[in-house]
Amino acid sequence: MTGFLSYLLQRILGLFVTVLAVAVTIFLMVRLLPGDPARVIAGVLATEQDVARIRVQLGLDQPIVVQAGIFLRDLFQGDLGVSARTSAPVLAEIGARLPATLTLAAAGMLMAIAIGVPLGAWAAARAGSLGDVVVSTLVLFGISMPVYWLGLMLIILFAINLRWLPAAGADGPASLVLPAVTLAAFSVAFIARITRSSMLEVLRQDYVRTAHAKGVDRRTVEWRHALRNALPPVVTVIGLQFGQLLGGAILTETVFGWPGLGRLLVDSIFARDYPMVQGLVIVFAAMFAFVNLLVDLTYERIDPRVRYG
Amino acid sequence: MTAFRVLPWLFVLVLSFGSALGQETFRIAIGVDPDTLDPQQSTTTTVDNVMDYVAEGLVTIDASGQTQPALATSWTTSDDGLTLDVELRQGVTFHDGTSLTSAEVVWTFERLLDPDVRNPRRGPIAAIESVEATGEHAVRFNLSEPAPYLVGALSMTTNVILPPSIVDVEGNSYENVTHLVGTGPYRFVERALGERVVVERFDDYWGENPYYEQVVFQVVPEATTRQSLVLAGQVDLAILPPTSDIPALEANPRTEVVLGPSNRTIFIAINNTDPALDDPRVRQALNYAVDKEAIIQGILFGAAEPMDAPMADSLFGYEEVGMYPYDPEKARELLAEAGIEEGELELDFMAPTGRYVQDFPAAQAIANFLREVGIDTQVRTMDWPTYVGTMLEPPEENTTQLHLLGWAPSYMDSAQQMEQFQSGQHPPNGLATSFYENPEVDALIDEAARELDPERRAALYGEAGTQIWEDAPWIFLWVQSFPMVHSAEVTNIGGFPNEKFDAIYARPAD
Repeated sequence: MTGFLSYLLQRILGLFVTVLAVAVTIFLMVRLLPGDPARVIAGVLATEQDVARIRVQLGLDQPIVVQAGIFLRDLFQGDLGVSARTSAPVLAEIGARLPATLTLAAAGMLMAIAIGVPLGAWAAARAGSLGDVVVSTLVLFGISMPVYWLGLMLIILFAINLRWLPAAGADGPASLVLPAVTLAAFSVAFIARITRSSMLEVLRQDYVRTAHAKGVDRRTVEWRHALRNALPPVVTVIGLQFGQLLGGAILTETVFGWPGLGRLLVDSIFARDYPMVQGLVIVFAAMFAFVNLLVDLTYERIDPRVRYG
Repeated sequence: MTAFRVLPWLFVLVLSFGSALGQETFRIAIGVDPDTLDPQQSTTTTVDNVMDYVAEGLVTIDASGQTQPALATSWTTSDDGLTLDVELRQGVTFHDGTSLTSAEVVWTFERLLDPDVRNPRRGPIAAIESVEATGEHAVRFNLSEPAPYLVGALSMTTNVILPPSIVDVEGNSYENVTHLVGTGPYRFVERALGERVVVERFDDYWGENPYYEQVVFQVVPEATTRQSLVLAGQVDLAILPPTSDIPALEANPRTEVVLGPSNRTIFIAINNTDPALDDPRVRQALNYAVDKEAIIQGILFGAAEPMDAPMADSLFGYEEVGMYPYDPEKARELLAEAGIEEGELELDFMAPTGRYVQDFPAAQAIANFLREVGIDTQVRTMDWPTYVGTMLEPPEENTTQLHLLGWAPSYMDSAQQMEQFQSGQHPPNGLATSFYENPEVDALIDEAARELDPERRAALYGEAGTQIWEDAPWIFLWVQSFPMVHSAEVTNIGGFPNEKFDAIYARPAD
């Protein structure tokens, strides 16, 4: 158990180092962008004094090393600054949008796991059959379909023609369905594909054949013995998919007018809102690192061969 | 496979949530998330439009662009043009119950001019030196110089009248207002970031009460989705649907399209200091080479009118000066006269993407027209902040040759438009990015900016316009319109020429 504890501490430390590295990188990157952010933020009709004042407020009149120092000092105090666009604290604004993005990503992820894993396992157990071919084709379709296009098609079908679901907005659980399906489409396909190939490998192994020979019922062999052993690579993929979902959320949130972080990021980039862009990237990085940690910890539960120490 | 067994239940759940909307709500899909609800800090017309439901200025503009009384009933400028006396409307109540007196107006303008408050549009009211109460319902503006455009500029949302108590409302501060309190026909209820703004009817409004009890502005950045919301019956009005769908929406019996007026001129600023472009004949040739009508019909789906003066016709001071008709022969002749051989001139052309109606596709078509008269033109695009940064480089460092821009004055007067042609406004001092310079035009515009007699003032702008047209510092393109689509079940929806929608008095169609 102490082995696990020190492993956990190491990993948490690593998480902080990662986020810090991301923070420094994004800080430098946004400052490499051409154009005068003070001018963009001030607006075209602002007086020169206004532009100069914003430059001071954003600290743009200081040498970049000084700016970086202030940024890191504030970051350690948990202060991500004030949005240049809205004058509201960055952390507060991210906090206000975070639930929407997490809800969408979680709904998409659950949908992807609930459909992707059984679908992949089912196809593997019937490798080469018509069912398998159909699943493989659907998977190919899901992986190659542009999120944007799929979203619009779903809107046309379910919102305009059938009028079953809202076309956009975040008004009650109904409005979550279309964006979550859109977001999940790629992940369903990807998870199904990985589950299928991992499962195929497991099904070829001796113990499966032994179980069959011993007369264990086919369902039990496939779903209890084989699937469990096929899961570790699937879990890794699910973890990676979470990052994918955060990225996919940018497009999905735009198409469906969903009030999440993805859209906030796009708006902030276009407004050259330095503090907000930095804050969002740091939050995204932290979430991604955290999910990776969870994935690694889950390994132990599903694959007894993996031990920490 | 249990997931499939859940689906029918999911739909039942969904249907039971879908029909909870009240009948007395009017829904509008807008494209941008209100980044502020402090009118004094706003830079975005759509956001202004939302705030206009809640707060009002001393004056407003009507559908034809004329200045009309709002919280002021009358105004007089002194003979020297250095004071402006304003009579305030009586019996006006703010949403917090206080009534409008000169104290609120004085407080509002003091805050507007206070450098501690970020006001991105201080420029148009910079002539105000101080504001004083001259009576319970009368105020006087003392000006540092005559500013005949000032009354018009008071119609800008930035200059709406706020009660001093606004800084005591929860969440508000002197530096920043997030809960707007005004005198308008609707009262602010809530803002959900990235999602919506809700306002409800204010029954003590001094003017005519609107029909709908509640108005919801839903934030939907994607144009196709906004249009879908109207088609799905989820919103009543959507602004800026995809231009390419305008013909289909016009043909659809469930929807109606409004091509609202706009004062936004779309043009290509020519770098007048570039050795290849400093001959007016070359710039005229560029104007003759482009078939504007064809682009308006084919690419903008009719959502524009060709320019016939250096400003939109809704602005004070507009005077028609003519047209550069499509005439490639004439363009070739002018180029030859200027000593340019076919294929000798190569131009670098920047255009934004998604900033104005069909901007980049139009730019590509323009480049093609220029190639047809023997000018090799390369179009490129970049993100907006970079774009602005590039075009605002000072003349000696500026290497742009052609760049496409849309310019919409924030009040209905030629003053702001004409800054584009003043030599004193070249970057970094201002935004006159074509670096055009004509001392005669400078003198005319300077005089017009101080002239108090409206007729004389309009004539000065007209004269300057004629000269500018001749010198062709831009490729004059078109005045863009402002498309909106609404459900055929509602009526009384129009547009103002400052690119705002006019839907406060919308009501069900019979």
